[in-house]
Amino acid sequence: MTFSLFDLLFNPDRFFKNALGDTERLKIPAIIILAGAILAAGYGYLAGSLTASMMDSAMGGLGGITIVVVILSAFAGTFIFWIIWAGLFYLISKLFKGDGSLNRCLEVVGYGYLPQLFGAAVTLIAAFVYLPKVVVPHLTSSALQDPAVITAATKALMQDPAMLAYTQIAAVVSVVFLLWSANIWIFGLKQARRLSMRDAAICVGAPVIVYIVYVVYAMAGA
Amino acid sequence: MKTLYPAVIATVLLLAAIGGVSAYTTADSLAAAGNVYVSGVTYDPGAFFTGDKGTVSISVTNGNRNQSVVIDHATFGDEDIRLTSTTYDTPSNIGPLQTRDYTFSIAADVPDGHYYPRLSLSYRDAGSLYYPAAVWVDSTPLVLAVQDIPDSFTAGKKSAIALQIANPRKAPVKNVFLNISGTDADILPASTYIGPLAAGESRLVNFTVTPNTETALNVTLRYDNGDNHHSAGLQIPVRFTPDKKDAAPVMSNLEVKNTAGAFEVTGDITNAGLSTANAVTVTSLSPAMPTDPYRSYVIGALKPDDFGSFDVTFNAPNQTEVPLMVSYKDSDGNLFTSTQNVTLPRFAAQDRQAGSGSSLLPQAIGLLALLAFVGGWVVYLKRRKE
Repeated sequence: MTFSLFDLLFNPDRFFKNALGDTERLKIPAIIILAGAILAAGYGYLAGSLTASMMDSAMGGLGGITIVVVILSAFAGTFIFWIIWAGLFYLISKLFKGDGSLNRCLEVVGYGYLPQLFGAAVTLIAAFVYLPKVVVPHLTSSALQDPAVITAATKALMQDPAMLAYTQIAAVVSVVFLLWSANIWIFGLKQARRLSMRDAAICVGAPVIVYIVYVVYAMAGA
Repeated sequence: MKTLYPAVIATVLLLAAIGGVSAYTTADSLAAAGNVYVSGVTYDPGAFFTGDKGTVSISVTNGNRNQSVVIDHATFGDEDIRLTSTTYDTPSNIGPLQTRDYTFSIAADVPDGHYYPRLSLSYRDAGSLYYPAAVWVDSTPLVLAVQDIPDSFTAGKKSAIALQIANPRKAPVKNVFLNISGTDADILPASTYIGPLAAGESRLVNFTVTPNTETALNVTLRYDNGDNHHSAGLQIPVRFTPDKKDAAPVMSNLEVKNTAGAFEVTGDITNAGLSTANAVTVTSLSPAMPTDPYRSYVIGALKPDDFGSFDVTFNAPNQTEVPLMVSYKDSDGNLFTSTQNVTLPRFAAQDRQAGSGSSLLPQAIGLLALLAFVGGWVVYLKRRKE
């Protein structure tokens, strides 16, 4: 079993032929996901700070709690998404009579997450550039009693020009690097679930395309 | 003949009796008249304006120790100082070492100068006494002078003015009364009774004026010279100009935050003037609608060069600019205000609408990437199949 970063990114077929052993090894995929989670937590800190400053004038301690919650959510969310993607691929590949364990799917998805680390890094840099420029609405204590006001404040925050620019950049970056990951996952799933190339492409492509269409739609609706 | 004697004797006795009061000029009577003199002359008023009427009271004293004198007729005046009352035409007796006053009403219808109207007394048993009594005719009025006045006036601000009232005349005046009036201005006190003012005396009168518009203060000084009414006037223009020593609160370091449904403006106010600004308050004006928690913000007193921070909150739907008003009071409690416009952050929704064309670009990139991915795999799978 050999591990070539270059092969993983640019020749995943060869990578997975060499990397996948007889038993599933989740250590390296988990490290990749952990790195992604740390980057996501960094972004979570920046986004959480905006939300915190929105509510800080209403309740002094609420801002700190908000930041902690957002960081933990972003960190845990990366691991949850890892499991969701692996579970989806596992279930869909069952339709094509896929053969292989869920852990093998987790291993493949973990490896395939590597391009999204680059995407997360680019997103984090964009967050450093754009988020400080966002004009944050401030909720007063009386405003916290009114859901309509909170909605209006959140909308105002999301529609801030800097925030809009950042979300568009983040969406494009995530789409591009997700497609790169999907490319890797197809070859990985083919090996992991002993599928044909066509079936593996469908198993991975279908949920990814749905997800990307949703992201593009959300961008249009934002 | 016998019956004629008693009549002759009675006539002689009667004539002898009358002889005590009849005009018989003798050496004694002439000597007695020589001891009669004018012991005092008093004019009221002491100095006349041209046209004034007044009185002169002349004291005539009989300097004889044991002989009376009889005054048949007394009059006063000449061609300049006109007598307006009647003369003394009834004989009157001045006993030894006695004084009798003769009072005449006169009019001074002559230009300024010194005049010498004469007292004329006719003795019964001697000649006459003529006495020129000097009188001044002087039309110099009382003087009104501004002693202290502010460099500038400001609408609604109370200012103090000091006036000097002086009597440059040779005689006192009485019932001096000062009255000040002005359009759309509050004056305190508007009237001041000063009373008598001696010759050469001056008096300081202070009053305050709070003008609401530019105006002119009409100062009128009324006084009596004897029983004659006179007045003097002065006009003080009230023009609004910037006071060089006023407080000057200046807004700076403004920061606008877009809060939920409201804006919050924070900043500093520095007193760039030379006076203390009291009760400095900041609030937003229409079209802004002040909201809690800082509908208005009271900084308090700011000494020259001091500064204080403020924080105001307001709603301003669909506005790009709202005025903020700074108000303060001077040491007299006069309220001053100034406004400064604050630019609000642009609406995100407006930006989005303005930039809606460019917002399609990331979606297009996303879709193109997706199509490239799908297309690439379709081509790859076809080639692989072949």
